[in-house]
Amino acid sequence: MTQKSKIDFKQILDHSHIANPYPLYAQFRETPVALQEDGSYLVSTYNEVVSLLHDPRISSDMRKSDAQKRFMQQAKQKREEMIAQGQQVEEPEEIVPAFIFQDPPNHDRLRRIVTSQLTPERVENMSSHIEQIVKEHLDKHAQGGQIDIVDDLAYPLPVTVICQLLGVPREDEAQFHAWAEPLASVLDPGQVQTEEQQKQIMQAGRQMREYMGQLLQKLKAQPGDNLLSGMMAADDIDGAMSPRELISTAVLLLIAGHETTVNLITNGTLAMLRSPELLERLRQDPELIITYVEELLRYDPPVHFRTRTALADIQIAGTTIPQGATIILVLASGSHDGQRFERSEELIPDRQGNEHLGFGSGLHYCVGAPLARVEAHIALGEISRRLIEPKLALDPPPYRDNAALRGPRHLPVNFKGLRS
Amino acid sequence: MRISVDLNRCQGYGQCCFADPSVFKLRGEEVLEFDPAPGDEHRLKVIRAAKACPVQAIYIGESYEEQEERSHRHE
Repeated sequence: MTQKSKIDFKQILDHSHIANPYPLYAQFRETPVALQEDGSYLVSTYNEVVSLLHDPRISSDMRKSDAQKRFMQQAKQKREEMIAQGQQVEEPEEIVPAFIFQDPPNHDRLRRIVTSQLTPERVENMSSHIEQIVKEHLDKHAQGGQIDIVDDLAYPLPVTVICQLLGVPREDEAQFHAWAEPLASVLDPGQVQTEEQQKQIMQAGRQMREYMGQLLQKLKAQPGDNLLSGMMAADDIDGAMSPRELISTAVLLLIAGHETTVNLITNGTLAMLRSPELLERLRQDPELIITYVEELLRYDPPVHFRTRTALADIQIAGTTIPQGATIILVLASGSHDGQRFERSEELIPDRQGNEHLGFGSGLHYCVGAPLARVEAHIALGEISRRLIEPKLALDPPPYRDNAALRGPRHLPVNFKGLRS
Repeated sequence: MRISVDLNRCQGYGQCCFADPSVFKLRGEEVLEFDPAPGDEHRLKVIRAAKACPVQAIYIGESYEEQEERSHRHE
């Protein structure tokens, strides 16, 4: 029988651990699969996380979890009560979940359509453009002084890239900038607490979908060489994307482009500025950036955990996860598992055989991984090469609230100028 | 440069195809096609491909010509 352990997921969500959650993960791993107070199961060891990610009995569709069913039932009841009292109640909007929240076979169809457009050639064509964007952003600081790695490079780079790739006009970014963060907070159960916050998320979602609907109309009339036009035109043996599916896919890709790569670049800068020796090695050996980025994805990844639902009773590590239970897979903890990685708590920039969980594993493996790699190679390579005597102005830096998509809100760095 | 891929490990993630589309190609969803002896100009891209492989199935070694040359040098 599983014991209700002291392993408490809520500790991850507690902001006091956000600058360094890894000691907490080490405690979690003493109980590979731990039942939580709310009936969910926390999974923190490498083998167990990987085995569940590849298990067809787990679902990414939250609508299949007992917790979500209860929540929907309560919402329905509340609506009915309000109607009975004669209040005006808005019809709930019918939303198609994005493909990361779906299972095969429909997930596979949607993902195939995305990957048919996000081709190696398209990503390769972006790389000279990425070099240009990085150069322009750094060149603004030729005199040295202070640069905020987040606001001045790590955020604008992936946003500019994803907008261009999707076919979203860059000048519209100001509009949806404010929607991305509340929408990404959905992945962090610790934040979705107050009714006010939920309202804000729903509203951001509605506005974002409206915006995308209008943009797709425009692109339908005037297609361009971009993902959204391609996805709209793409056919699949199991059927093309419906207009609702197009919208939820577009919103997902746009948010993912806003809320993840920024953390990879910022965490990578933070780590190299904490270690003068590492920074020097990266300068001496530009190829080291390749394994350094993989090691970052293991050591300090942008995505810390994802949730799933058990579709059947699942026996794992001496515990039975019952059907309908929510499973929290702590990817970042799996990647720190000392049973799987030697010197797991050390950052080893030339680590070999690095099968980290930074992009997940199995059928939901990050679809944007190749793009994130190119952006991180170029941005981190240029930061290490060009900044003269860079020093962290604050350590630890302030972090954003999201514990699932975790990273600094700002990373101010003082430096003396730029190499050309 | 010689490339070998452990096809028992390969899961068709396709990350190598992004790192060097002219050396690695995915046919359909699972079948990996690759050039086992690409020219030296591919060296950096092939290293990127090998390091990006989620199941670390790609091995880079010397081509037969490179091995020959080396053994001659040692004679």
